[in-house]
Formats: sequence, C-alpha cells, structure tokens
Amino acid sequence: MGLEKLGWLADTALGMWVVSSAAIWPTLECIHFVSLCFFMGGMLVIDLRLTGFYRDPCTGLIGRLLRLVLGAFLVNFTTGVMFFAGNATKYIDNPAFELKLSLIILAGLNALYFRFRLSHLLATDGVTRVSKFVGCFSLLLWAGVIVCGRMITFFAR
Amino acid sequence: MNFLEALESTAFSEWVLISMLGFPTLIALHSIGMAIAAGLTIVVTLHLYRIVPGIPEAKLPGILRIAMWGFMLNLVTGLAIFIPRGTEYITNLTFLVKMLLVLISAAILVWLKSHFTNIANGSGDVYASVRARSLSLVCSATWIGGIVTGRLIAYVGTIY
Repeated sequence: MGLEKLGWLADTALGMWVVSSAAIWPTLECIHFVSLCFFMGGMLVIDLRLTGFYRDPCTGLIGRLLRLVLGAFLVNFTTGVMFFAGNATKYIDNPAFELKLSLIILAGLNALYFRFRLSHLLATDGVTRVSKFVGCFSLLLWAGVIVCGRMITFFAR
Repeated sequence: MNFLEALESTAFSEWVLISMLGFPTLIALHSIGMAIAAGLTIVVTLHLYRIVPGIPEAKLPGILRIAMWGFMLNLVTGLAIFIPRGTEYITNLTFLVKMLLVLISAAILVWLKSHFTNIANGSGDVYASVRARSLSLVCSATWIGGIVTGRLIAYVGTIY
C-alpha cells in the first residue's frame, strides 16, 4: 500500500514522544477506544434512521450527531497517527492495518454519498431501498474497521 | 481457584489460546459489543442532557434494547476470553475494578430500558427525570471507566 513511505514518522518528535514514557501508549489506547465508542454510538443512531428503524423527520438530530461523530473520528484519527508514529514497523506491511484503512476510505465515500444524495430524506419520514443499503453498508464497514483494528497485533511482523 | 484451574484445562480454553481464530475473533467481537453498548448509552445520555436532542422518545426503548444486545455480545465474548486465563485475571486489580464498573453500567442499562419502556407504554413517568438523567450519566461514566480499565489490564500487575 506504500505505507513504508510514512516510516519517517517514527523519527519525528511525535514518534519519539509516543515511546518516551511507558504511560503514553496505554493512555492513547484508552483515548482511542473511548472516542471509538462516541463515534460508533453516533453512527449507529444515524444508520438506524437510514435503515428505517425510526422514520421521524430529524434533520437537526442528524446534524448534531454528525458533529459528534466527526469530533470523535478526529480524536480517533489523531491517536491512530500517534500509534503509527510510535511503532511504524507494527503497521507497515500489515494486511489487517491496510484493510482497515481501505474500509475507512470506503466508509468515508459511503458517508459522502449519504451527505450529498440522501440527506434530503431526513427532512421527511422517507426511507428508500438505497438509504437502507447505505445504512446497512455503513454498519458493516465500521464493524469491519473495528475487527481489522483488533487484528493489527496478530498480523504484525 | 480449583474451579478456574479446571476451566483453564478444558478443550475450549486450549482452542481459544492456540487456534488462529479463537482469541482474535473473540477480542474483535468483544470490541464490537463494547462499541454498541457504550456508544448507544453515551448518545442516550447526551440526548437526555439536551446536547443531542431530537431522538424520538418512542424509539429510546428500542435503542436501549440494541445497547443491551451489544452488552450481551460483550458479556459472552468476555467470559470466553476469561475462561482460559481465569486464575490470572482474578488476581488482577484492574480487572476486578473493570468488572465492578461493568456490573454497575449493566444494571443501570436494564433500569433505563425498563424506565423508557414504561413511559412508552403510558405509565406517566417523567421522561427525562433527574433520576433518569443522573443514572444515565453514571452509566456512561462507568462504561468509559470499564473501557479504560479494560485497556489497562495488560499493563497493570496482579494484587498478590
């Protein structure tokens, strides 16, 4: 995937800081997992609306949930970059990590499709076959991201 | 300890520890259960405190039911992870604190589900009462505490 080009991150001040104390890595893990829960909670409620679990008009709710989800994703992404910087060899050439990144990109494209093609549905009680697919696909993709994230350790060189 | 030692020597324990699929699959499902249970509880808490208003009241029992299914997945996979290394976990203070926190959050989750189900059935209870909001906040806090202590199990030693 060409991730070896990012190996220089390990030599940056950030990479060295992450491994400078025994307490930093576990603290980052805690932040990564807690933000994951904020992220998944918000995503679940959005995807439940898309799949028709509830059909009420909810433009305001989804807007606020999207802010929560984006904030949590940003924290998740930042701590993820720190993990990479702190132990790049664990992630480079790791099929689980590469699949995780691919699924995140796919889930991002799915979310963009929702934002630009389906968000009008939220002002109504509408649910379409496409919205159901997008909601279910999103749930599956994020579950896959979690699974791959946990597999990284087992596939590390 | 004898009981835990007996569990550790079962074929199931061996499968979890040795199989390429056992432990990785269980830990992945454990994380998915955690994200569903804790994530939905956190969103319900934010909703009750009007930070994320707008979730239809009638759907709260359904959302909390999904959270409970997430917890069940978490519980079953957690037990399967515990069995092969029970004697080690039971002497780990961080693990014991995690269990206490998870127990509290699970009990509150059951209460919240029943509270909002009663309201949906027309019991006349106050929807976002001080008790419901406070307990929901405690539930989210104990979930977060459970996640943090869960992550720290690998780093903190045994108590004796």
